[in-house]
Amino acid sequence: MAQVHVNIDGHDIVMEEGAYVLEGARSLGIRIPTLCHYPYMTPYAACRICAVEARDGKGWTKIVTACNYPVWDGLEIHTGTPRVMNARRVNLEMLMSRSAPVPVLQQLADELGIEKPRWGTGDDTCILCGLCVRVCDEVVGAHALAFSDRGIFRKVATPFGGQSDDCILCGACAKVCPTGHIALDDINQRQVVHRDISLAPNSAISLPFRQAVPNVPRIEPEHCIHFNTGGCKVCSQVCPKDCIQYDDTEQIEEIEVGAVILATGFDSFDPSVMKQYGYGRYPNVVTAEQFEMMNNAAGPTGGRILLENGEEPRAIGIVHCVGSRDQNHHKYCSRVCCMYAFKFSHLVKEKTKAEVYQFYIDIRSYGKGYEEFYQRILDEDVNIIRGRGAEVVPASYRRTEEGQLLVRCEDTLIGKFREVPVDMVILCTALEARADAKEVARKFNISTGADGWFIEAHPKLGPVSTTTDGVYLAGACQSPKDIPDTVSQGGAAASHVLKLLCLGEILLDAAFAEIREENCSGCRICNGLCPYNAIDFIAEKKVSKVNAAMCKACGTCVAACPTGAIVGKHFTDEQIYAQIEGILT
Amino acid sequence: MSFEPRIIGFLCNWCSYTGADLAGTARMKYPPNMTSIRVMCSGRIDPGFILSSFRKGADGVLVCGCHPGDCHYVEGNYKCLRRMLLTRQLIKDFGIDPVRLRLEWVSASEGARFQEVITEFTEQIRSLGPLKLGGLVPEVERTAVHT
Amino acid sequence: MSDMRFTSAADVDEYRRKLIRQRNDDKTIIALCAGTGCLACGCEAVSEAFREALAGSNLEREVELKRTGCHGFCERGPLAVIQPQGVFYQKLKPADAKLIVEQTIKGGQLVKRLLYRDPQTKETIVHEKDIPFYKKQMRLIFGKNGFMDPTAINDYIALGGYSAVVKALRMKPEDIIKEITLSGLRGRGGGGYPTGRKWASCRKAKGTPKYIICNADEGDPGAFMDRSLLEGNPHSVVEGMIIGAYAIGCSEGFVYVRNEYPLAVKNLVHAIKTARECGLLGQNILGTGFNFDIDISRGGGAFVCGESTALMASLEGKTGEPRAKYIHTVEAGLWDKPSCLNNVETWANVPIIIEMNATKYAEIGTSGSKGTKVFALTGKVNNTGLVEVPMGITLREILYDIGGGVRGKKRFKAVQTGGPSGGTLIVETGERGIHDSMVAHGDLREDEEAVNLLDLPVDFDELTKDGSMMVSGGMIVMDEDSCMVDVARYFLTFLKEESCGKCLPCREGIRRMLEILTRISDGEGAMEDLAELEEMSQVLIDTSLCQLGGSAPNPILSTIRYFRQEYKAHILDKRCPAGVCKALVSHAITEKCTGCRSCAKPCPTAAIIGESKGLHHIIQEKCIQCGACYQICKHDAIVRVKRGDGDAVQARAAGLWKGKPKAEPVAVA
Repeated sequence: MAQVHVNIDGHDIVMEEGAYVLEGARSLGIRIPTLCHYPYMTPYAACRICAVEARDGKGWTKIVTACNYPVWDGLEIHTGTPRVMNARRVNLEMLMSRSAPVPVLQQLADELGIEKPRWGTGDDTCILCGLCVRVCDEVVGAHALAFSDRGIFRKVATPFGGQSDDCILCGACAKVCPTGHIALDDINQRQVVHRDISLAPNSAISLPFRQAVPNVPRIEPEHCIHFNTGGCKVCSQVCPKDCIQYDDTEQIEEIEVGAVILATGFDSFDPSVMKQYGYGRYPNVVTAEQFEMMNNAAGPTGGRILLENGEEPRAIGIVHCVGSRDQNHHKYCSRVCCMYAFKFSHLVKEKTKAEVYQFYIDIRSYGKGYEEFYQRILDEDVNIIRGRGAEVVPASYRRTEEGQLLVRCEDTLIGKFREVPVDMVILCTALEARADAKEVARKFNISTGADGWFIEAHPKLGPVSTTTDGVYLAGACQSPKDIPDTVSQGGAAASHVLKLLCLGEILLDAAFAEIREENCSGCRICNGLCPYNAIDFIAEKKVSKVNAAMCKACGTCVAACPTGAIVGKHFTDEQIYAQIEGILT
Repeated sequence: MSFEPRIIGFLCNWCSYTGADLAGTARMKYPPNMTSIRVMCSGRIDPGFILSSFRKGADGVLVCGCHPGDCHYVEGNYKCLRRMLLTRQLIKDFGIDPVRLRLEWVSASEGARFQEVITEFTEQIRSLGPLKLGGLVPEVERTAVHT
Repeated sequence: MSDMRFTSAADVDEYRRKLIRQRNDDKTIIALCAGTGCLACGCEAVSEAFREALAGSNLEREVELKRTGCHGFCERGPLAVIQPQGVFYQKLKPADAKLIVEQTIKGGQLVKRLLYRDPQTKETIVHEKDIPFYKKQMRLIFGKNGFMDPTAINDYIALGGYSAVVKALRMKPEDIIKEITLSGLRGRGGGGYPTGRKWASCRKAKGTPKYIICNADEGDPGAFMDRSLLEGNPHSVVEGMIIGAYAIGCSEGFVYVRNEYPLAVKNLVHAIKTARECGLLGQNILGTGFNFDIDISRGGGAFVCGESTALMASLEGKTGEPRAKYIHTVEAGLWDKPSCLNNVETWANVPIIIEMNATKYAEIGTSGSKGTKVFALTGKVNNTGLVEVPMGITLREILYDIGGGVRGKKRFKAVQTGGPSGGTLIVETGERGIHDSMVAHGDLREDEEAVNLLDLPVDFDELTKDGSMMVSGGMIVMDEDSCMVDVARYFLTFLKEESCGKCLPCREGIRRMLEILTRISDGEGAMEDLAELEEMSQVLIDTSLCQLGGSAPNPILSTIRYFRQEYKAHILDKRCPAGVCKALVSHAITEKCTGCRSCAKPCPTAAIIGESKGLHHIIQEKCIQCGACYQICKHDAIVRVKRGDGDAVQARAAGLWKGKPKAEPVAVA
């Protein structure tokens, strides 16, 4: 682009041809008021407040809008002539005649010296600047807002004036609205869509977790507007260092390692299969995970405990052992639920006036300080009911006014069937093995138990290592665990790895196969059988040879050798025959 | 005194042997007729071992390995499977009921399954009665190298 | 017809020769106008009657009934011309068909009753070409209308149609543009931008593809030039666009036509379809390797979509709202590609120029404006209709010679040209009141005489020089019964409805100005209002986004300029001189009343009482000033007077009334 010389209010400035007058004026510190202009969007020139006078120095003169008038060589701009000021004033007065006295207009009126607008003021808080429509269109790319009607009836509207599925609730329109005409009332009301609460980050750009390596934010494509609509890209516009890369994709990198620690964690049991608890059917039945998110100060409710209608609950039921200790689902105890259920009780008591009811089978509060915490909860007047939560039904079932839901159970301590009215139910869902645990196990050549947890080498003697050398386990991928246990196991796994690394060499098992050259016919049957490619054929000698470091001593070659030339050390034929003989005689 | 079959079990180190271990630590009861021989992999099992077992007087032979696809050595159990099918043909020719040789997949976590397999196999062999060979199975020729 | 497909230029010429050979010049043709005006007057029934009459006389083979496009003289519709004699029959009724067939076609006699009678000279005129309405016209563009069926491509080809395409495709594109530039053709949409220059910059503009667009979004109240052209001769527009596309180097064209023009759309669709079938549109046109096709986009009828950028937005499927034109549409128009937009009339001029060649075309008109211009003459004029005149003719000639002057015995007041957008008033500047107003406005010194626009030649530059505009061609004639405040109000109301609302000054300004005008016409205005109107007008002109807002103040400014005294009368005297503004007027019956009772019938509030053949009386409290009685009274007995004076006038009338009026009319206040 060519450089052109422009004069703005007597100041010479060199600009790129085609750039807009407003940019030049702002770079010179000359103020031109605007209402419908916003960075990162193409100029719209609807408010006409940025009117300036353009001259060519030879007598030609015209009022133009600074926000979208492209500069050319020799252009003279005057931003404060009486004609310009009058145009701005009259336009602003006309705008004020329809609009409510919103601060943005009042300020501008003060600036332009309008004491009392000639035609009075109106009551519309929308000034039709179109920022919301354009941000939704150009930046967000959701196209959920548009102008409807025309002339004085023009207004910003959603498709057919209703709630639109096109709206992605990003709030960008409310953010750019200069008058507060667009409030996120609706979104605020719908803020707690309980069943949508997840552990996923709220923002599309976040650190994966606090200590992530490398410690840089990343974009979550699932939540990123750009990846959903193709628009936005605001982050790249505001980043001063040009760090945002949208075309960066996931890459598979092969890294050679000597040891692996599996710490793949657990999945949360999906309680919707337990129809009796009504999860997914009643809005205020939530999982422990969702409740945890709700308590998060950075979460969807800002840490407040709320029902889906935005009210504070009057009573909360906490149902233990959802999916755990259950013949139909998981027989095992998930170990952590009792304690976090107490923590929830404590939080509820701290934040609200709600009653808390816990429905349990047995309280398992072993561990340091755990039992004491249980006692404290009891002292906090939490109702602890021994009896598995049998069913959650809507309160309308009993025509009671007390709560929205009823938790039914058999109170085994008093021997009675009870229906407890509550507003919210928290399901302490079981910890279960990751859905892909079997696949992962196969990849690392280790085993999984019937419940899908990875099997350690030995429950007592090798709780961290696995049947595959160099593969170690840490955390809930091995079994349900609380945080202290997980940290311990993680430390143990790390030290196993460090031991390997520090040693610098590997101690091999004494068991491996060996070929007696004198007996080897060089038939090469064994070569192809070895899963580790540990057998090489030595051409000059016409015999095969086992690389002892690579051999894992499976013995397949030993069994296959037609001449019996291969000896599986510690599992020799003689040893086995002797065992057979020993057993049978 | 009733007939108590003698059964030799060849168990792979990683799955079946561990499974047996699990059954044991879990205090599961199963008939004591089987005596196990640990091998690193079911692929190690030489048909000679089986023939030898029958010759030496075993009434049944049980071979256990990892489930297909789960082999610690990737595919040793497949090799075992092929050999066992052939061995079964072979013992038939010797007049041994092929059901006396059984191949089962038992994983490390399947203590209960191990218990089940042993119980059922023992009962089956018991019902078949003792194996009467009459010297039909030849002594497996030991090669000189093994001295 | 459908088996006909031209694969070379020679094919077209050959086919035309064949058509002319086959034509029997002596064959009688009834050219019945089937334009929208005549259709509205009942042409359909007349057409059917002709068909029956011909069938009844077994003349179907000998006589051809041709439903043609608009002949222009809509005032006299339904009309028919009997060719080859050129006998002009007007105001036909179905019953007349049989008469014409019997007497004229069979008997060779004229049906005198149906001939045109000049209202001034009372002379009966037989032939179409002798009628004064047509005499001063120069029908370059509309000339073929009366001779062809718009749905028959054969008619068009036989009349020389598509010969311009044949000629153009043999030329170099640059030479075509040179030819258009040389012809001096300027955009007929209003702005008068030289067409050749526009084409040249579009051809030069970077970016592909390029588009050409025909603007057929004719929205001015009272204007129907483009409509009649599309209805009557759609092929001429298609032909113009083919030539334009070839010259500019584009292969896709659009016609943006309003959906309220069903016949235009129908005929145009048919024309494009047949042209495509003939190989005049589509791939490899006439074997030259040039590809071009036209799509029709039907607009919803928003006035603002006549503005080029709004039209393009609408074509793109977006809301029809204009955008800034700081970057011209020939560089970045439709879908941000170079786009050349011309209106229907401009496109229709193109084949004419190519055919008759530029130098010859340039001989028509004035130095700065060439060719002809079509006007839609409406309002209080004797001959309404479409008139095509050579540039350089004066408005006075159009008004009085072609239009036949102001209807009735009323006095001419003003002619409004160009509709609400950009429209201005053209008046007899010599009149006392107007002169005073212009002096007060600062246009003239007291002793100076204004240039009378009525006597200026119709010319882009001449009219602009004196503050008027050539504009698109709507021409509304107003007589003394028109109130200028009301006229301004009417146009502002229209614009308020049609403003898209995108930019602030247009959206809010028109509304505020209309409020002030309403206040004035309600008799609640103040003299400061005029200054305020002028101030706001300047802001609208300066800062509106498009010309809809930019020219919206024109009706106000030009009425204030010429008729300041009328505004003063409203504001200071609370009086509407033309008797239009209801809040300022009272109706009264004078002694001229004959007691015919015809006024009492239409009165919606039954405010008129009186015996048959007795003096009638309007009950002032009941009267809503609708004016129905005023319109119907044949005796000029009903007068409009200043609000509140009604009873005084009627009381005096009661004193003067003598059963039957003999006395001279009494002057009223």
